Amino acid sequence: MPSAWLSTHLRAARPRVIAALNRAFGDIDLAEDAFQEASLRALRAWRPEALPGDPVAWLIVAGRNAGIDAIRRKSRETLSPPDEIEPAFDGPHPEELLSETLDQAVYRDDILRLLFTCCHPVLRRDQQIALALKVVAGLSVDEIARAFLVQPKTMEQRITRAKKRLRAARLSYEEPDGPGRAQRLSAVANAVYLVFNEGYSASQGPELIRETLCEEAIRLARLLVRLFPEEPELRGLLALCLIQHSRRRARLTGCGRAVTLEDQDRTLWERIPIAEGTILLEAALRAGRPGPLQIEAAIAATHARAATYEATDWHEIDRLYHALEHIRPSPVVALNRAVVQAKLDGIPAALARLDHLSTPLARYAGYHTVRGSFLAELGRAREAQEAYETGLELAGTEVERAFIRGKLGEIGA
Amino acid sequence: MLFSVLIYSSEDFIDALTPEEHALLLKKHGAFHDHTKTNRTFAAAAKLMSTGTAMTVTKDSDDFVVTDGPFAETKEQFMGFYLIDCANLDDAIEAVKLLPLDHGRIEIRPIEFFEGAEFKNAERVVIDAS
Repeated sequence: MPSAWLSTHLRAARPRVIAALNRAFGDIDLAEDAFQEASLRALRAWRPEALPGDPVAWLIVAGRNAGIDAIRRKSRETLSPPDEIEPAFDGPHPEELLSETLDQAVYRDDILRLLFTCCHPVLRRDQQIALALKVVAGLSVDEIARAFLVQPKTMEQRITRAKKRLRAARLSYEEPDGPGRAQRLSAVANAVYLVFNEGYSASQGPELIRETLCEEAIRLARLLVRLFPEEPELRGLLALCLIQHSRRRARLTGCGRAVTLEDQDRTLWERIPIAEGTILLEAALRAGRPGPLQIEAAIAATHARAATYEATDWHEIDRLYHALEHIRPSPVVALNRAVVQAKLDGIPAALARLDHLSTPLARYAGYHTVRGSFLAELGRAREAQEAYETGLELAGTEVERAFIRGKLGEIGA
Repeated sequence: MLFSVLIYSSEDFIDALTPEEHALLLKKHGAFHDHTKTNRTFAAAAKLMSTGTAMTVTKDSDDFVVTDGPFAETKEQFMGFYLIDCANLDDAIEAVKLLPLDHGRIEIRPIEFFEGAEFKNAERVVIDAS
């Protein structure tokens, strides 16, 4: 095996190992350092032709030893009596770990704990995303900074602050009961979707799609589905990510202009992820516990099923948006529904519905763009131009601005 | 003799592959395809979707029970299979050596009975081999 594959083994093992170490030490920083040290030991000890039978268990034991060493060293430096510094383990002793790591139930709890901590509501969204990518996915600070188009130093600070905030919040992690567990998983699913969405429609900068973020989100979603196949929202999450991601080649022109669903070349949609997403969704919906991600996935799947834009089942999509408004009402969902209703009830009716959204979405470029396109369709070019121009001012990405400029061009403004 | 070539690997590992490593894997599968198609032993190839898509059906006294997820939680997962129509076991083993074996393992199991059919609902995934 090429030695580079050792690093792939480390990358593959990382979420589970960090999760176990985080439980052992109750500290993300210490868990990360211990994983780092365990990885160095692995690179020295492992031979391509003789990998340990269970690399994950090997790394957990090595990481635990490294972590304990680090705590002892620190306690000597501060001259405190070691027994006061000894961490309060709530996990089993290292020698029990090897057999214990075979137990999927322990993995599940550890991963949930780690992800829930990284995506904790006390953190800002951008902090949640950064922390999940750094700690769980194992992206370097430089890689994350590049994905977010910020300086590595800025990203380093964002991550340090996030960890500080977690520590300051003094979160005590209690093992959740059944409903509590589903709630946490749903919080984690939302955070992973944030990662995906930041990649899928970057909120700032010159690019629309940042594939690294999408791919890491899909990898996290796959891990979650593997560990919690009985949780339909996680299957919904993976289905949604796969179907959206399948369209990426069609969403931009060669020169980087955004292409709307209507104008996309559907032969560029990748059929394998669409097939996988569709069956994941079907499996999820059998549970009879629909959630927002399952409904969004169903909307994406309905679009994916249509051979042409004209063949789209708008009635089905309208029903799905209606359900989404019920479960998770938001002005953006209402805006999306208005676009669908324009197809069903005509533009004047849809335009009237937009009035209710003018206040909550006043600063949302998408609102003004949709309104502009409705007005343009109705031949009210002057008002359309005004709406587009407002959208242009509010747009966060160059791709979005180019799109709106194109729209302005269409009405001859 | 018809042999099944059953491929086991870890999904965690496959998900962690770099694009280059992934290309290397595909190259080895390509070599297996070329070899078995050239000597006309190739019969079928199937790559399974992720275990996340799996459902398991069991029976509890008189009730069917449909559970989410694969039958067993293991460190390695069943990823896919080939069918090859070889003169003997040695030929099958030689062909399998072309496949990626740096990670995971491959089991060769002779087929006792095989029946194929035309597909009606699988147009999205079926590749016409002819």
